[in-house]
Amino acid sequence: MAFNFNWSPLTADSLFYARAKELLTTALNKSPKPPIIVDDILVNELNLGSIPPELEILEIGDLAEDRFRGIFKMCYSGDAFLTLKTRVQANPLNTYLSTKPSFTSPQPLAASSGLTIPLQITLSEIKLSAFIILVFSKQKGVTLVFRNDPLESLKVSSTFDSIPFVRDYLQNEIEGQLRLLLMEEVPAIIHRLSLRLWVPEYRAHGDEKENVMGALDGRGPIDPLVAPPQGAVDSSGNPVDMAGISPLSLDTISSDGQALFSQKNLLRLAALMDRQRSLSLFTPSIEGAVFRAWARASERGDAPGSNTPVTPTLSRTHSTVSSTSTIYTFPDASGSSNLPSRPYLMGLGSTTGLSMGSNRHSRAHTGRKKKTRVVNLRRGNISSDTKSVSEESTTSTTSSVPPSIKINETVSPPKILEEKDDGIVTPPRSPNSRVKFRDHQDGIDLGGSPPKSLSLTPARRTDSTRKVTDVGTQTPPELVLSKTGPSSISGAEKLRHPPFHLSHETHHPNSYLQEKPPPPSSSASSTFTTSPSLNLHYPTPLLQSLETTPVGILERALMMKMAGEIARRSQDEKSMENGFWAGSERDYPPPPAYESR
Amino acid sequence: MVHAKLFSFKDILDFPTPWGLRLSVSSLSSPNLATSYDLGSIGAVDGSLSYLYSSLPLETISKSAEIDLRDVVQGYRHLQELRRPDERRWWEVWRGGRRIDQRDTMLYGRMFLPRSSVEAMYVRRLSPTGQVKVFCVSDVRLKNGGTVLALYQRDVGKYSTELVYSTDEALAGIRGLYNFGPDPRKDNPLPNPSVERFYGRFSAGAELYYGAMNKSGGVSTGVRFTTLPAHNGIPLTTTLTINPLMGSLSATYAVKAGDSLALCSRFDFNVYSYESDLVVGCELWRRRRPTAPVTAEPSHSGNADAPQHHGGVGETAGILKARLNQNGSIGLLWEGRIKELLFCLGPRATSIIPHQPRESNVKTGSSFDLRRQGQPFRAIGVELQYSS
Repeated sequence: MAFNFNWSPLTADSLFYARAKELLTTALNKSPKPPIIVDDILVNELNLGSIPPELEILEIGDLAEDRFRGIFKMCYSGDAFLTLKTRVQANPLNTYLSTKPSFTSPQPLAASSGLTIPLQITLSEIKLSAFIILVFSKQKGVTLVFRNDPLESLKVSSTFDSIPFVRDYLQNEIEGQLRLLLMEEVPAIIHRLSLRLWVPEYRAHGDEKENVMGALDGRGPIDPLVAPPQGAVDSSGNPVDMAGISPLSLDTISSDGQALFSQKNLLRLAALMDRQRSLSLFTPSIEGAVFRAWARASERGDAPGSNTPVTPTLSRTHSTVSSTSTIYTFPDASGSSNLPSRPYLMGLGSTTGLSMGSNRHSRAHTGRKKKTRVVNLRRGNISSDTKSVSEESTTSTTSSVPPSIKINETVSPPKILEEKDDGIVTPPRSPNSRVKFRDHQDGIDLGGSPPKSLSLTPARRTDSTRKVTDVGTQTPPELVLSKTGPSSISGAEKLRHPPFHLSHETHHPNSYLQEKPPPPSSSASSTFTTSPSLNLHYPTPLLQSLETTPVGILERALMMKMAGEIARRSQDEKSMENGFWAGSERDYPPPPAYESR
Repeated sequence: MVHAKLFSFKDILDFPTPWGLRLSVSSLSSPNLATSYDLGSIGAVDGSLSYLYSSLPLETISKSAEIDLRDVVQGYRHLQELRRPDERRWWEVWRGGRRIDQRDTMLYGRMFLPRSSVEAMYVRRLSPTGQVKVFCVSDVRLKNGGTVLALYQRDVGKYSTELVYSTDEALAGIRGLYNFGPDPRKDNPLPNPSVERFYGRFSAGAELYYGAMNKSGGVSTGVRFTTLPAHNGIPLTTTLTINPLMGSLSATYAVKAGDSLALCSRFDFNVYSYESDLVVGCELWRRRRPTAPVTAEPSHSGNADAPQHHGGVGETAGILKARLNQNGSIGLLWEGRIKELLFCLGPRATSIIPHQPRESNVKTGSSFDLRRQGQPFRAIGVELQYSS
């Protein structure tokens, strides 16, 4: 992986310096100035120089198209310089008296009369050495924090260089101020600059603040999105605390709401969510949204070998077993066009999708393992799911299932949807909706589509909210494309999935062979025999989760009911599709069924 | 006599304008002890408690209903003839063959309530020509939690000197004033004002400070000419102060143009930075007709000396002070008496709360600004005083 830091383009932008100067000036004048400075500090000249700082990547905690979190070590000894202009009080007695209570003032007659002198200070030969924590998110801009005091040394040259006392004083004073500036103000400045750069709403809002306010007055409750969204969630699904955000965006609260989520996109996302709960085939397209799947696919075009995202864990387990066959071929180029997004399965998909590639892919992506290192075992369901999945996978592996089939489940959902997924969809609910979907799809698709696509498409259908026709007609290779999506897994999912992978990996041998009795014959057989299709696998995890994990009574009852239904359906399906799949089974061994939840 | 005060024209040019609403109640409960309570509101309510003890009985009029405004409102100051200092032996009191006389002492303390800072002052007369003053401030916001300023003053009439030491930055200073002319300690022939065109006194002073901690110092010199009361023309005072280190130069000219009008102007110039400033101030006294205070006469019967001074002119009803500087900022202050309350009223230009309202205001010197169209001043400060 490579990072491309452009140093000179920063300076090429003519507006950049003006903006930076302006921000720096306000920052310098914000904090209370020492009494010796009697005027505003003006940034006269600012030049970043031509020598870029040296950056050493120490750690990358999170990496995606629109977000990044990492720790750098930065060393800088370039030729940047900064010239400040201000006026200082040259009479030390005046400075001294202005800070003291008048009661004990010696009240000199004219000895304290002031003499203000214009002062020009040039800061150059700045040497920095710092550990930087950089967090970038398209929504929230760049957040940069220095972990230590970054300033190593700098040279202060001023009008008073000939007077050693004044020079030393200035040197000390400025170093102190600069430390403060670097530690406190620079992060704020960078954040604001980045907001202007990446968040169009912020920029627009900054320009037309007045208009917005006017609109607020006029429209009132008609436009709910002018006001801060009420149930706003951040990337990890936690409710957004407006109070916490306001200092970040440096604007009014109402603007926060707008800046955080584009109003238009919010509406579309809401529509997208609704589609998922209904049978509507219409999928609103979201303007300005870049799906990770797309970006990933296009990227892949450049470097075909390395781009198929593979979760190391899964790929490893399966690659050993599945060395026999990779049945689906996944052309990289075709995937770039349009990839259906399946929010629900996405979680699973990311992992499985990653594994879908052939063995070489897995190796190529071992670097990504880092991402999954963060394990979040918050939900009990996950463990149950993973167990069931592991069992499933064992079955599949035993039956020598190529990992490629798992690809089906890989999904590239719009990121915001994913976020909502985390918070909104409760475990018991998701199966329910899926079951419905499947029902519907079975009815429609099973008859018309070819067997392979049949088995695959239902799974996709259940999950995907968009372009059903696309999905339905998609051939396996295309499916692969859809699986390319995993690259775009949101941070939240990454958090969620790792446990899944890990547990999958670890449980794999044990759960099936030793601890667990073989799954109920019906479900097991159904999974095994039926096909790679997800729908079929569906029931098993549910059943197993029922048996294995303790759940709430309500959930349990619900799941019981559903499981019964699902079992019945799977039986039907099995009986119906058995003939179909009997031939293709050899080619496509059943994949493990993965549950996103 | 602090020569610095003689040079400055704070009362006409740099008068402080009141800040917010301030109410102070004070009483002289005994001739030796006075208490004062002060309550102010500038956004938040603050207040202070102060006590004053003097070993020398205070025989002044303390009731705000009776007090002469001239005694509480300072304006143009008439310098008196130099007085010969007391002889040491005049202070001696013997009883039963032993000296029992004591040096006069004054103690003063003031506690500011919400910000919990304390001011204290100790003054002791050591000899007929010398006295010691110690000022203390205790405040957590100060660097070392507080500061102490000690002063030793010596005044022999012909000249006066002052030694200053402040614990802040270990600042030490010396200042002196020399009065040209006859020495009051010797017997002099009575002055004959009619002979000279300006019968007055010429004085020169200098001050020198050195801060040991920050290794910095300050110097200034000044000269003054002022007419004495025996002068039979218009009283006037003119001064010139120079700070040779900082190159600043300040000249003032004050004249008491009439019985109820004083004018003053000051010109500042800095030869290094070419900064200059011009301030013009005036002081207008409003008098009641001598016939009017017939009803008030009975209450004043107790103190005959109050009206005696300007008996023919009538009692002072109020004083209006105004100043204008070259930046167009105007300061206004109206001081007077309503019934038994002394009041002090002035507009304010800014609502920013300064550290030390009085002092900083003196520095900025603006009460409201003419250039701010439409809203020349934002608030009016009122100060009410009652004393018994």
